[in-house]
This record gives sequence, C-alpha cells and structure tokens, in this order.
Amino acid sequence: MWELKEYRFAATAQEAGALRRQGPGKGAYIAGGTDMYLQPVDCDFVVDINNAGLSDIARTPAGDLFLGAATTLHNIATNPLVADFAEGMLIQAASHCGNRPVRSTATVGGNLCHALPSADMAPVLLALDATCYIADEESQESVPLADFFVSPRVTVLDDRLLVGLALPAEAATRRCASYKLTRSAEDISLVQVVVALGVENGKIETARIALGAVAPVPMRAVLAEAQLVGQSVADISLDLVADAAAIAAGECEPRDDHRASAEYRRDMVRVLTRRQIMKALHDETTITKDSGGTVA
Amino acid sequence: MKIEMELNGRAVTHEIDPGANLLSVLRGMGQFSVKLGCETGDCGSCTVLLDGEPVNSCVVAAARTHSHKVTTLEGLLGDPLMKELQQELVDKGAVQCGYCSPGILISLYAHFRAGNELTDHHLREALTGNLCRCTGYVKPLEAALTVAQNQQGGPDEQGGAS
Ligand SMILES: Cc1cc2nc3c(=O)[nH]c(=O)nc-3n(C[C@H](O)[C@H](O)[C@H](O)COP(=O)(O)OP(=O)(O)OC[C@H]3O[C@@H](n4cnc5c(N)ncnc54)[C@H](O)[C@@H]3O)c2cc1C
Ligand code: FES
Ligand code: FES
Repeated sequence: MWELKEYRFAATAQEAGALRRQGPGKGAYIAGGTDMYLQPVDCDFVVDINNAGLSDIARTPAGDLFLGAATTLHNIATNPLVADFAEGMLIQAASHCGNRPVRSTATVGGNLCHALPSADMAPVLLALDATCYIADEESQESVPLADFFVSPRVTVLDDRLLVGLALPAEAATRRCASYKLTRSAEDISLVQVVVALGVENGKIETARIALGAVAPVPMRAVLAEAQLVGQSVADISLDLVADAAAIAAGECEPRDDHRASAEYRRDMVRVLTRRQIMKALHDETTITKDSGGTVA
Repeated sequence: MKIEMELNGRAVTHEIDPGANLLSVLRGMGQFSVKLGCETGDCGSCTVLLDGEPVNSCVVAAARTHSHKVTTLEGLLGDPLMKELQQELVDKGAVQCGYCSPGILISLYAHFRAGNELTDHHLREALTGNLCRCTGYVKPLEAALTVAQNQQGGPDEQGGAS
C-alpha cells in the first residue's frame, strides 16, 4: 500500500501550488494516478489537480489548440477539436496509450511530467511545437516542450505545476504520419516516430521528426529535419528521404533493455522514419509508389 | 481521512487511508465483484465506473472519489441492459472461471450506455482493458455483438457496417 499521510484537493491551479508548498513534509501533484499507483512517489502528501480547472480543450480564435494538463487521454482521443488538428495525430497518439479504462483517468500532463523516454504523448507534441505553460503562485512561464525534459523522470518543473499545452495554429495544417512500434498492442513503445511537415507552395517549409523511447528523453532529430527543409514535395528523391532517415538513426541514443536491443531500436528509427516521411508526403509526391515497405 | 461518495446511487461515508486505491476500499465495503488481479492496470478485473467512465480501480486513488459517483456490478444487477449482457455471456459460453466477467460486463455496459458505435471494431476497442485467460475473447465478443444486434433491432448491419 502507498503510505500517504494526506490527500489534498485543489480547486484552482494557484491553490494546487500553495497546497503543495505549504507542507509539512514533501508533497507531489496527482492527476490520474496511473503512473503514481504503479510507482508510488516518495512523499508525505499529494495534491489532486483533477478538479482544478485544468481539463479544458479549446481552440483560440487565432487557431491555436490548447490542452489543459489534466485533460484525460480519453477526452483527447474523442474530441472533435483535436480531430481537426494536424490530421488527427494527437488522437492517434492518445488512443494508442494503454487501454480504454486507463485512458479514462490518465492525463496528458501526467504523461509528460512523469517524463519517461517512452512517454507516448511526447513525440507528437514535440512534432507539433507544443509550448508548456508552467505556473507557481507568483509567476507564469512558458517553455517549449523541446526544453521541458531534462533526463529520465526529470523535467524543468521542480515543484511547479504544468498548467497546459498550446499548439500553434500553424501546426494544424502539417502533413503528418506516426508509428508506435510495440511488442503487443498495449505495451509501451519500443520506438515511436512522428513526422510533421509544413508544406507551402509545393515546398517543405518546416520539418519535424520526433522520436520516443530511443534516447534518455523524447527528442527531435534536428539534423534529419534540416535535410528535408526546402525540398520540393513533388520531386523529392527517395535517396534524400533515406538519407534523412539514416541521419535520424545517427542522432538517437537508444539503449538495451529487456524489450529490445539498442541496435534494433536504432535500425527501426531508420526504417520507420523513412516510411513516415513517405506517408506524410503521400498525396503529392511522385515517389510514393513504394509505400515504404520494400526499399530498405 | 473520511470520504463521501455516491456508491451505486446511495450516498456513503467511509474512512480510508489517504493512499489507498479504490479497489481495496470497494472490496472493504463489500463490493466483491471488484476483483484483484494484476494491481497494475493491465487486466481489468477491477473495472468499475467513475462518473460513468470505466476505470481500473487498482490505479485510481480512493480519495478522489470524494463527491463523485462510483458504480460497481452490484449496483447494476437490476439494470435491463446489464441483465441482457450477463445472459448473453452465459449463453455464448463466455464465462469459464468467471474471474474476468465483472470487469468485462462493466466495460461493455459503459460502452453501450455511452452511445458508442457497436461494430466489431468498436466492441474490441471497448474490451482492450480486459484480459481473459479462459475463453480467448471470441466468445465475449460474440456475446457483445449479439446484444448489439438486439439493441439495433435486427440481425443485419453487423461487423463494421455502422
Ligand atoms: C496499464 C497501463 C498502461 C499504460 N500504457 C501506457 C502507454 O502505452 N504509453 C504511455 O505513455 N504511458 C502508458 N501508461 C502510463 C500512464 O498511464 C501515462 O503516463 C499517463 O498519461 C499518466 O498520467 P496520470 O494523470 O495518470 O499521471 P499521474 O500518475 O497522476 O502523475 C504522473 C507524474 O506526473 C506528475 N504530474 C501529473 N500532473 C502534473 C501536472 N499538471 N504538473 C506537474 N506534475 C504533474 C505527478 O506528480 C507524477 O509524478 C500506462 C499505465 C498503465 C497503468
Ligand atoms: S487488478 Fe486492476 S487492472 Fe488488474
Ligand atoms: S473466464 Fe476465466 S479469466 Fe475469463
């Protein structure tokens, strides 16, 4: 059993921070608890943020998508505002986390704050340039998600609260493709690859390649991304795509564990990145006759 | 600490340990349909409804049910939809040892009640959180599809049509 001295409820984000810092002893936030009940955190009390007004999903007039930190993965997976954004990529990510009952309580904030290399919401949010809103009683700070993760299980938060995430309107029209490689449908990722390409006038203007479970923290393969920027969608070459994928494989830092070897993970980054780039470009490029399955 | 929840439609007050999971508290309250299997959120034998949503009670804090509604199989025994689901599980031979059955019933009940689509695909999705070591899933799924047919008023349009 998890030995807790106290369970506190926060009605607002401000109150959550105050309750956590007020002591006595060590406190932690709790949202869905689906990570915390598997690996109880060493603390004296927890502050529940499920009713602190952090569960909204909204689209601003400018078109940015806002996700409250305590939004459940089930709500993300079934929300029409989310379905309209970036070809439904967030829905795909959320609906592949765990199983149906876990998604009823598991939150997007918990997924990111737990900060595992395999956190399944991280790659898609990285690929769509998410910004994290972080608060304590005095100040609000916004941090790009790319700067949020420090090391496994460590973020820039300290005792501050993640309030929510904003995705820029510009990311809503990116062409996307993603793949979660697992041993079984419900297992955590061996490798996750998300590709999001901003295309204007037939050219790739922005490229994002985000990888999960292949480095100490979820990461972007920025050198591989650079390879794609400026390319014409219609006549990008298969060799160039393969090169970009190989660069991504060079950028990741996988390790061996009981699920897979580092070598296998790295090779899967190469294969899956190539396939996701092809898939993301599918409608317009002339080289998609190979749907990704045959050319190594 | 003391919590007040609505359990199966009745307001109840209960003394709990602040760190207790909902599974242990519900069993302590005599809700023995809530089974302890893995205690890691994987098997679904502890599935209950929290404000109408299926959850794995082993990975839910009991404390957070304060001021919320919890429903276990015990609370649904008189419900016509639940009766139909139970009967169909029995008729299709989808119950062997029965350990997974309460969880399967709660998951299906939640899926039907939420007005979700009742295709083969969606019913499989509804059962992703329930492991059954005896029947092998085909029979529970057949039972669910039969109830779906009855609900939709005819044997047509099964298996992915809607
Ligand atoms: C059966 C099962 C299957 C799973 N499958 C997957 C999977 O496929 N992919 C995957 O990525 N994960 C998976 N998980 C892990 C987990 O469900 C997710 O990571 C989930 O999103 C965590 O969210 P939570 O709200 O439950 O977090 P909690 O357990 O409530 O919190 C996790 C951590 O984050 C902190 N925290 C939570 N919210 C905030 C906040 N707003 N600000 C600051 N700190 C905060 C908490 O203090 C804690 O340290 C699975 C879990 C289970 C039980
Ligand atoms: S006992 Fe809760 S999911 Fe297995
Ligand atoms: S009937 Fe035995 S586990 Fe399902």
